[in-house]
Amino acid sequence: MKKLLAVALGILTAIGGFLDIGDLVTNAVVGSRFGLSLAWVVVVGVVGICVFAHMSGKVAAVSGRATFEIIRERLGPRAAGANLVASLAVTVLTLVAEVGGIALALQLASSVDHRLWVPVAALAVWLVLWRVKFEVMENVTGLLGLALVGFAVAVFLLGPDWGALLDQALTPQVPAAEGQATYWYYAIALFGAAMTPYEVFFFSSGGVEERWSVKDLATSRLNVLVGFPLGGLLSISIAACAAIVLLPGGVQVDALSQLLLPVAQAGGKLLVALIIVGIVAATFGAALETALSTGYTLAQYLGWSWGKFRRPVQAARFHVAMIVALVVAVGVLMTNVDPVAVTEYSVVFSAVALPLTYLPVLVVANDPEYMGEHVNGRAMNLLGTVYLVILVVASVAAIPLMIVTRAGA
Amino acid sequence: MRRRRPERWSGPLAPEPRPAGRVLDARLHLLDRQVLDDDEVPVCTLDDLELEPVDDGATPGPHAGTRPAGAATVVVTALLSGPVLRTRIFGGRPPSSRWQSVAWRHVRDLGTAVRLGVRGDDLDLTWPERWTRDHVVGRLPGGRHDPEGRS
Repeated sequence: MKKLLAVALGILTAIGGFLDIGDLVTNAVVGSRFGLSLAWVVVVGVVGICVFAHMSGKVAAVSGRATFEIIRERLGPRAAGANLVASLAVTVLTLVAEVGGIALALQLASSVDHRLWVPVAALAVWLVLWRVKFEVMENVTGLLGLALVGFAVAVFLLGPDWGALLDQALTPQVPAAEGQATYWYYAIALFGAAMTPYEVFFFSSGGVEERWSVKDLATSRLNVLVGFPLGGLLSISIAACAAIVLLPGGVQVDALSQLLLPVAQAGGKLLVALIIVGIVAATFGAALETALSTGYTLAQYLGWSWGKFRRPVQAARFHVAMIVALVVAVGVLMTNVDPVAVTEYSVVFSAVALPLTYLPVLVVANDPEYMGEHVNGRAMNLLGTVYLVILVVASVAAIPLMIVTRAGA
Repeated sequence: MRRRRPERWSGPLAPEPRPAGRVLDARLHLLDRQVLDDDEVPVCTLDDLELEPVDDGATPGPHAGTRPAGAATVVVTALLSGPVLRTRIFGGRPPSSRWQSVAWRHVRDLGTAVRLGVRGDDLDLTWPERWTRDHVVGRLPGGRHDPEGRS
């Protein structure tokens, strides 16, 4: 049990990255339109986030410095400031979507209009940030989020034609009904979701919150190797469910409730209930992750005192930043904007934030002043460099593709 | 960089004598690092250093005889920070009243962060944190609650 709880940080981080409300819907959209022909992107993304989360966790454990402190120190105020603005935009947009997502999931369970749930959801998130111990927070949301394994169970219960599914995944082809540009737009959206910068901010700061030291390097590695592949697996399961049930029926996914159709068909009410619990936990976890990341990035860039392990009065500006972010989220949602549509635009900001986040991590992971004998090995550096090139290509292509495809329409 | 004039060149260059102790590059090792107080609480990020010239005769350094004429010895007298981000990003020079300083003698250790030997709350620099604590966070219920359950 102790081992299981030790990986809670990795699981929560991965849930926030792969299974936040935007990704839940994006995965279903991708499955219903492209089958499993984009599953390879998720695999590429999982390897990439594993590489960089591992590095950032290692830097946090060995030197005690969280990722945004490193970004400010290596890039200076100007480039780090550009990264801060872009990262905050991604993170706050995602937070807006998550608070809306909790409300939507509660609407599915209760049939009470989601706008009534929004202030309740935001207040609940704040109370957890304000009072609950970090470990308790990550264990509860991480474990409940595991209920989303129900999607993987649903794939088996649906009894698909495994040969056809494997064929879609292993020999990816753009479906006849879709354009090349749309295919690549969704590829970048999935890749960007896997590698969203707030994951490493949260993961490395979480390591500092748990007071990792050199002794905890193994824990860090275990977190990375369990959490992110699990997140990727679940995200492919959702796409598979949609590919099995929604793709042949020609159903266009545009709401959270459609996610439940394949599940209901496979496992009935019980599985649907399990999945709703999972969705509430995952969106709640993602809301906590993004709210905390807002505080972490601002505080680490500006040199404020931060951390949930401190009393709120000892990290006053950090807590005020998170309160402001939540108030903004409620305000935006009250304009009746679609929470799911909100996350689509975060792709644009990821374009700026991704390379500026991962380059300093790679540089510092090679700095003996920080890392001592734990500097990166050659294989790690090779992988890191290859991924930096992919990140730059993806971030350059993201905005033009978004305009050309009208955000994947 | 000034180029060395050929007429002053005499024989192969002697290697630069390596001064004793640790050599730090102010830009690489100091600027934009976190400043932590005695309890490892972040105080600020280091925005600049205050340098003051000292009388050459009084402190003969390792380079005393070899320095070009006109160069003065300076010592770091304080760490500077404050609301100066705008000029650091867009250039220019903030009015000197903006700078807030921490005397160099408070520095205990230089590593991946600058560690001070004093409590952050005792420094003038941290007034915005104290203001937020006293006027906002401290007044909300539970603001002084310890999430880790220490009394």
